[in-house]
Amino acid sequence: MKAKGKILLVDDDPDFLEMHKAVLENRGYEVFTATSAQEGLGRVRVEMPDLIVLDLMMEKHDAGFSFSKTIKTDPLFRKIPILMVTSVAEATGYRFSFEEDGYWMKTDDFLNKPVPPEVLLETVDKLLQKREK
Amino acid sequence: MNTQGRILVVDDEMGIREGCRRVLAEEGYDIDLAEDGNAGLRRALEKSYDLVLVDLMMPGIGGLDMIKKIHEIDPEIIMVVITGFATIETAVEATKRGAYDYLPKPFTPETLAVLVKRGLEKRELRLEAQKLHQEREQKLLELAGEKSRLRSIIGCMADGVLVTNLERQLVLWNASAMKMLRLHGTDEPGKPPSHYIKNQPLIESLEKIMDSKDDSVSMISQEIPSDDQKSVLMVQMAPVRDEQGRLLGAVTVLRDITKLKEIDKLKSQFVSMVAHELRSPVAAIEGWLGLLLSGEVEKDEEQKRQWLWRAKERAQSLLALVQDLLEINKIEAGKIALKMESVQVTDILGKIVEFFKPEADKKKISIHIKSSAPLPLLQADVQDMEKLFINLISNAIKYNVEKGSITIETSLDANYAGIHIHDTGIGISRDDLPRIFDDFFRAENGKTDKISGTGLGLTIAKKIVDSHFGRIEVKSELDKGSTFSVYLPCRI
Repeated sequence: MKAKGKILLVDDDPDFLEMHKAVLENRGYEVFTATSAQEGLGRVRVEMPDLIVLDLMMEKHDAGFSFSKTIKTDPLFRKIPILMVTSVAEATGYRFSFEEDGYWMKTDDFLNKPVPPEVLLETVDKLLQKREK
Repeated sequence: MNTQGRILVVDDEMGIREGCRRVLAEEGYDIDLAEDGNAGLRRALEKSYDLVLVDLMMPGIGGLDMIKKIHEIDPEIIMVVITGFATIETAVEATKRGAYDYLPKPFTPETLAVLVKRGLEKRELRLEAQKLHQEREQKLLELAGEKSRLRSIIGCMADGVLVTNLERQLVLWNASAMKMLRLHGTDEPGKPPSHYIKNQPLIESLEKIMDSKDDSVSMISQEIPSDDQKSVLMVQMAPVRDEQGRLLGAVTVLRDITKLKEIDKLKSQFVSMVAHELRSPVAAIEGWLGLLLSGEVEKDEEQKRQWLWRAKERAQSLLALVQDLLEINKIEAGKIALKMESVQVTDILGKIVEFFKPEADKKKISIHIKSSAPLPLLQADVQDMEKLFINLISNAIKYNVEKGSITIETSLDANYAGIHIHDTGIGISRDDLPRIFDDFFRAENGKTDKISGTGLGLTIAKKIVDSHFGRIEVKSELDKGSTFSVYLPCRI
């Protein structure tokens, strides 16, 4: 069976990498992982993923933002949808709203950690369909 | 009957003396008689009189001299001069010297009685006036004392105080207010507040208080930045009213709360950091459980079991984190009440090394205690010492390499006992070194990923050492190892 698409997971927490990988692979996606923004950027160049699932909180607290900015300002990669997963909102008492912060965050959607498997799959499927159109 | 007045009659003519006595005794006065000036003065010294009738022309001391001498005893005694030479000159002269009136001889009993009565009334008025004058002087003195006391009290206060009157003039301020608001030109009184105060929000509030027509604004409490934006001032402002509730002015009290704000910010930062650190493991556990329950993955039992183990590990790390947070809380609370006793640190080290032996053996790490300098008994909290060295030795094992070694040495100088824990582990990079005692800081590189920790172990160690007035030092080289040195105060 041919893979439904290539997904890159970037997260510094190995547990989330593994659980997201399990869910997405089970659905038939091909999954790559990276534990830092730097490693992630390298992976993007080599693998050209169809979608990136990105953790906001990486080694530096805004590494997720600068990562997505790099991708979204690069003409080669700007089309790749980025799904931001974050635990920031609760920790800082600051709530993101996609309508207000989406442009600035330069990501296509965001979900709070932990993401229930069915929600993760639903969002990933939706973003990929939108991309094909 | 003698309450009406005490009168002394001084005359060398017995007829006049007795005549006066008869008339005045009838009026109910207390009468004494003297036949010449000297006798009169003696009497005046023995007893206080309200009125003295004195003959102007007497042998020895004359009437004019008597006026002076009697008034030296009591300036308020009414002097009435009896004179047979009723010329204008003598009368004027006597009045000039302080006589109240004169009585020309011969005189009728009625004239005498009327004159004495008037004189005594005058005496009463004079005494009353004198009393009032004294009271006023006293009041003024008290007022001045009160004012200077108020100034001293306000002057000593750490809080700034400003008082403005109805005309919005600055009437009272203290040194603290001057410092906090950098008051300008206080040597030119009677100008509007804006002349002295450059702080706009403060002036606006002052206007608001003074403009309040009714009692609606009873107090304004606000935080304002200082002019240089470097500090935060808490301002309490209230109108000053008289008993009828009429506005008299406003009083402003300022408190510098910059330090409180900083502490508040640090506290929020710590809480937000703790919340994030707690959330990560909980989110991971929730994630694993959600994955296992969702049925979105078709995996064998062995895989699911492994995931459960991963969840359990995170739960364990969460537990360790909560434990460390409690530990920190306990140390900070215990700064007031450490349980100090005589402790032989070498014994504690021996026990801890024994305790960690199985864990060290797993990584084939050897641990040596070199008692290079025998340590004296130290004054320390035993439980704290155990926690301190458990943290340091467990780090030395965790961050060591397979088949590495740990050497524990001691040193001693005049003031401090040193304990040095040297490992042959992965070391700490130059960049990370200054941050290792920060809350939740963990060196992150390829080699530390697999090592679990809360990021609070060294925070706790440092807090313990600080609470014992010691110091902790680190020397480290990447890939070579680290040496943690603890110096505890000792008295040899």
